[in-house]
Amino acid sequence: MSRMTFQQATVAAIADEMRADRDVFVMGEDIGRFGGPLRSNAGLWEEFGDQGRVLDTPISESTFVGAGVGAAMCGKRPVVDLMFLEFLALVMQQFLDAGAMHYYSGGTQRVPLVVRAKFGIGPFHGHAYDHHSWLMNMPGVKIVAPSNPADAYGLMRASIRDDNPVLFLEHMALYHAGKAEVDRSVSVPLGKAVVANAGSDVTVVSSALMTRRALAAAKTLAAEGISAEVVDLRTISPLDEDAILSSVRKTGRLVVVSEAVKRGASMNDVVALVAEQGFGDLKGPVRRLAPPNIPTPSARELERIYLPDEARICDEVRASLAV
Amino acid sequence: MTRSNQVLQELYHLMSLTRALDKVLGEHDGHWHGLEGEEATIAGVYHGHRPGDVFAPHYRGMVSAALAKGADLRTVMAGCLGRNTSYSKGRHRSDICGPPEFGLIGLYAGSLGPPLGYATGAALAAKLNANGDIAIGVFGDGSSSRGDCHESMNMAVVMNLPIVFVCQNNQIAISTELSGGVAGSIAARGAALGMPGIKVDGNDVIAVKDAMDRAVARARRGDGPSLIECETYRVAGHFHSDAEDYRDQDEIARWRKNDPIARFRAYLISREILSGDDLDAMDAAVLTEVGQAFDAALSDPVPDRSDLAPDGEYARAPA
Repeated sequence: MSRMTFQQATVAAIADEMRADRDVFVMGEDIGRFGGPLRSNAGLWEEFGDQGRVLDTPISESTFVGAGVGAAMCGKRPVVDLMFLEFLALVMQQFLDAGAMHYYSGGTQRVPLVVRAKFGIGPFHGHAYDHHSWLMNMPGVKIVAPSNPADAYGLMRASIRDDNPVLFLEHMALYHAGKAEVDRSVSVPLGKAVVANAGSDVTVVSSALMTRRALAAAKTLAAEGISAEVVDLRTISPLDEDAILSSVRKTGRLVVVSEAVKRGASMNDVVALVAEQGFGDLKGPVRRLAPPNIPTPSARELERIYLPDEARICDEVRASLAV
Repeated sequence: MTRSNQVLQELYHLMSLTRALDKVLGEHDGHWHGLEGEEATIAGVYHGHRPGDVFAPHYRGMVSAALAKGADLRTVMAGCLGRNTSYSKGRHRSDICGPPEFGLIGLYAGSLGPPLGYATGAALAAKLNANGDIAIGVFGDGSSSRGDCHESMNMAVVMNLPIVFVCQNNQIAISTELSGGVAGSIAARGAALGMPGIKVDGNDVIAVKDAMDRAVARARRGDGPSLIECETYRVAGHFHSDAEDYRDQDEIARWRKNDPIARFRAYLISREILSGDDLDAMDAAVLTEVGQAFDAALSDPVPDRSDLAPDGEYARAPA
């Protein structure tokens, strides 16, 4: 056990996989001597640089992610740093292709690729867009979004070992936000949500920073005698349907919290799932808490109004219970 | 460079095979992307590589590339017919997506350009594995305008990767003529990027093969990428049943006289390597073989509901 930040845990997971498997390498812009933006690859150059396994690339996102796809097709396990999720638009074709390869090849082609991307509001007022929902409609692609250092460590190791293309989301507000215990011997499987706070009155489904806020809200609500169960998705695609449905079966109420704008948000799939398979368990309407359909604003004051926060999560939960 | 008769014969065979595919598949499927006129480039580029080498072919040449790499003719035919017995199990068209188990990078989502990035990644894997394998990324004059093309070539030079970029310049992209799609010289981009860039007569199979041999040897030595522009001409339509009312028929007629197969036949006959009768016999045998493989695949089972997704969406860890 050791105490690590989200950033340290993520890098530690990559380093451990690089030590365990010579086929793992990292690639991206400014990840070598510079260590990556927000120190996203700090220390890897020093340990693995002279083995040629820490590769700085030109500013060619489509092609260096594409090169990750190609190397993965040949049996390597690349971990490619896209820098910021805003650049996802540049690599959509690569995700579409990579996600299709296993199926289209008749099951012979594996694409063990991890694409890392920083996103979300953070200390820098930039690159905040949360666009991961675009990939919800792409078969064969996985989306992972940890909410804490221990999960960041475990999910990164699982992502590297997975034989499918994975988008690994690293929230900038969580990145350097304090240390937590990380047990390197604990594995965290992809596709499994976790009940981050057990409760009986209402289910709150969230990921990444929204989970952090939902947990704070649950604490406030507990003081009012409201028992909120927080389900942290951890893997956004594919959804852990059983975890969501069994929680709603228990509580009968559902609030989903999204950092992505409401229209087309990945969280809508959680709602659709419950409408389809858990409708009989619901005691009232599902509530969605998400930013309005506008780009993430920059000024701190606007950002605060834009994004779901602890107080608004509490309000939604109370409103859910009022029906 | 002197070539063994064996190699010359194999090159002719691949050209003849490519033409036979055109006849058999074109007749069957009006959407087949014909190759008439481009057979020398196809044969010269794809002949004689190592099992570990990776090709990202242009779709016009995908089937020949797969066969050159050892894929089974009947199984590939089954892929053109959407049969269960195909490499993809009826999930994708083998005429645009070759089997990866033979080192083929296909067009998965159908967009041209990105496969050059995948080929660059295959070259990176070969470099990291230090096994002497190489990648070959092929693009048309149309795809040469893609940012992927520029990015891949730039990155391959920067990283000194073992890759050969080949422009299969047939001078037309669907209906857009070369002058409407490409500024300047494609081959000259090599000089701008600091790698060898040459233009060869893409209807002269030996010229293409010579250029490939030099570029491949350079890549295997670890000396980095090369660019070869093969100037050829799409005598065929964009697809077999293309009305081609947008084309200059006189120009097509002129290029038909520059037919690469006729040229290579004349070469082989004049050097007394093979006789006209030998070549006719080879053409007939190849056409029969392709026809029989097609007919055999035609009688293969078509997929049913149980074949839609028996393994689900994702690759699972090997047991």
